[in-house]
Amino acid sequence: MRRGSVVQLIVIGVLAGAIASAVALVPGHLGIPAWLPEPASREAGRIHFVFWFVTGICIFVFSIVAAVSIYAVWKFRAKPDDDSDGPPIHGHTGLEIAWTAVPTLLVTAIAIVSAIVLAKNDAQGADPLRVDVTAQQFFWTYNYPEYGNKESDILRLPVDRSIVLRMTSKDVIHSFWVPEFSQKQDVVPGIHPTLHITPDKVGTYPVICTELCGLGHALMRSRVIVMKPAAFEQWAKQKGG
Amino acid sequence: MTTAVAEHEAHPVHQGLPPPPGGWRRLLYPGFLRAAWTTPLFFGIGCGIVVLCRWWGGWHPYWFGSIIVLVAALIAAPIGFLAGIGAFDYWARYAIGAPTVPEDHSGHGAYSWRDYFRVNTDHKVIGMQYLVTTIIFFLIGGLLAMLVRAELAKPGMQFFDNQTYNGLFSVHASLMIFLFVIPAFAGLANFVVPLMLGAPDMAFPRLNALSYWLLPIAGIMMVSSFLVPGGAFASGWTGYAPLSVHQPLGTIFFNMGVQWAGASSIMTALNFLVTIITMRAPGMTFWRMPLLVWANFTTSLLVVIATPFIAGSQFFVMFDRVLHTSFFEVGGGGYPLGYQHIFWFYSHPAVYIMMLPGFGIASEVISTFSRKPIFGYRLMALSLMAILVLGFSVWAHHMFVSGMAPWLRVPMMITTLLIAIPTGIKVFSWLATMWEGKIHFNTPMLWAAGFVSMFVIGGLSGIYLGAVPIDIHVSDTYFVVAHIHYVLFGGSLFTIFAGIYYWFPKMTGRMYDERLGKLHFWLTFIGFNATFFPMHLIGTEGMPRRVSDYAPQFAHWNMFISLASFFLGASTLVFLYNMIVSMRRGERAPGNPWRALTLEWQVTSPPPVFNFDEIPQVVGNPYEYGVPGAKHAVLNGDRKAEEVKVH
Repeated sequence: MRRGSVVQLIVIGVLAGAIASAVALVPGHLGIPAWLPEPASREAGRIHFVFWFVTGICIFVFSIVAAVSIYAVWKFRAKPDDDSDGPPIHGHTGLEIAWTAVPTLLVTAIAIVSAIVLAKNDAQGADPLRVDVTAQQFFWTYNYPEYGNKESDILRLPVDRSIVLRMTSKDVIHSFWVPEFSQKQDVVPGIHPTLHITPDKVGTYPVICTELCGLGHALMRSRVIVMKPAAFEQWAKQKGG
Repeated sequence: MTTAVAEHEAHPVHQGLPPPPGGWRRLLYPGFLRAAWTTPLFFGIGCGIVVLCRWWGGWHPYWFGSIIVLVAALIAAPIGFLAGIGAFDYWARYAIGAPTVPEDHSGHGAYSWRDYFRVNTDHKVIGMQYLVTTIIFFLIGGLLAMLVRAELAKPGMQFFDNQTYNGLFSVHASLMIFLFVIPAFAGLANFVVPLMLGAPDMAFPRLNALSYWLLPIAGIMMVSSFLVPGGAFASGWTGYAPLSVHQPLGTIFFNMGVQWAGASSIMTALNFLVTIITMRAPGMTFWRMPLLVWANFTTSLLVVIATPFIAGSQFFVMFDRVLHTSFFEVGGGGYPLGYQHIFWFYSHPAVYIMMLPGFGIASEVISTFSRKPIFGYRLMALSLMAILVLGFSVWAHHMFVSGMAPWLRVPMMITTLLIAIPTGIKVFSWLATMWEGKIHFNTPMLWAAGFVSMFVIGGLSGIYLGAVPIDIHVSDTYFVVAHIHYVLFGGSLFTIFAGIYYWFPKMTGRMYDERLGKLHFWLTFIGFNATFFPMHLIGTEGMPRRVSDYAPQFAHWNMFISLASFFLGASTLVFLYNMIVSMRRGERAPGNPWRALTLEWQVTSPPPVFNFDEIPQVVGNPYEYGVPGAKHAVLNGDRKAEEVKVH
């Protein structure tokens, strides 16, 4: 290849990378909603890290592929009356090894980062608060076994404390998701999966059912209110919801 | 194969079926007239079996609606229909020991439009039957998608109630997957693979005809579920138990529709395997097969191994409903996650069933229109095999949040991410094939290049979904909807369009309108990206999938997506107009308009009834563009020319 072509390729690659980076970074500004909701749990912070780590790798791969394809489409277009064939290149062992090895390294890196974050997010912190979550068509119920099985239809949690949600369903499969916590778990009849959350921001967030559960699926929403520990204690010791 | 050719030389080929007998005997002649009475007859037999069994067992009421629908309408009547049109005639005579009718090939080939509406054993006719049928279901599925988008244009409920809405997207997905993408690829391959192999037909032409006729049955079953009380099946194309067990009657239309479509897939796949293994022309070694043949070989292996699992999963759901078993009912000791494991053990490989044939088409088109050999041919074939093997070890990545054993997540993540490697090899090899080529951007090449670029985006969003922590956040959101449409629409559908335009001259003997083809591509390309790219964003933001109503914060994007989707839907009209008009009035196509080397282009357009007048002799690789004097195969004319040269 001539030096001029290499420069052209690099310029296209940088441009493609810049456009992809803009797509990744501009939402959240200029009135466009951000890619991810503002994190409100420690787990969400870690998951967002993996998201941006993968995004970085994807922008890198995308830039290379875009550069090569745009350059090829631009430079190797045949003239209308050109009936000749291209050079009979059947392969290139070095190149083929490279594009097997580099993606292997990249996906290995993604797998390692993901596995570490997964292990951290699954670990339960000291002195966890257990909440029993029961799903049924089409609402959520929350029970606090440590507070005399206090029942509530709004999930209230103390901030900065490890929470263990122990979940089950009375009928079909539902799924518990708080976008700001990033954690999600299907709620299945007959088993009791758990979900670990450490809320780190006081506020009110939506609880959404994300597994199709029938007629009222779209409306199976609830709220989670993350409170200061003292306010939570006060609420938890009250009688009634 | 040689015997088939010899046989056809011994018996002169009839120009189509002999005219049907007159009078009442006409009712016994295979066709729609006979089906018109055998279908109700079998329906009646089905009703009789149900009533007799219930009377025998003392179960009241004897006449029980849902069981009657299942046994008489969804099982017995279709068998009656198939018997009526004559799908079983030859085998039935054989089975009862009656003298079989000598094969005079009168059921082979098409001499008038009527020959497309009967049991035809010609792989080219069957290919066309497949394609036209699947395009009709594609249009119905597309209309359902338009209705879904109309409802979602604004938050709140506009046009439909929740059950109808859930039915709309469930039937949309089921039609697109089981009645469009999978059989459309089977249809293209049906037409092309025997030609590419230098074979006169598929190995089992009667089985091939039967596999086609199962499809309209499956499709009509799924669409007609809208008409039954309670509405269409509404638990998604995934039909998760226990929800699907307790849905209205329409669900069994899905359970049974999948059986008919699945049986069709399995029969076709067996046919492809036997054809590819045993009917290659002399000299056509495995390493000389075109990549489309390789792709259909690996796809057929996937179909044969995986499809019985979805059949089982749907039978179990149906048994839980009608026989009160408890495969997935917790109350009776069942295990709801068992459904997902069995379902995804098919449905993940199904993703590759819906993609590998597209890889094959892309390889053919990119090599031909770049005028260059496929880069790394052997590695391309081997990566198909790698995807086949890895494809069976990743099913639980659909279940990272399902509550399955937590330890299973990391191994499944690793195998999932590993699939990126053979897939990456394919993408890079296509780009390297285009590199330094003499690229002609005819319509098929536009679709193939569009496919590569869209598939890269779909592949990259697949990496996000493969990484467990990100998947936990985006699972069951619009991010997943965006991803599957980038791989199934930007991937599979783009390659189906590439294939249809590429082989249109071969199939119809006429050229399509190039300007309309390009217009179709650009309208679809723009509409597709405008529709599906923003779905990534609203998904990560927090919009769940399969909802008829959503939080007001997503209103702007949804309105934008709905408008873009109507634009995308309208672009299909350009395609339909081009196909219909060109088929009737297009310019006559030469045998080899693309100057391609594979065998299907070395015969006339459309090909002769038995494809090759003489068996071709394969002498080289299929993509030797730019190699002076290289040949893939030697045919009749060439051979004579060479003999002349020698003397």
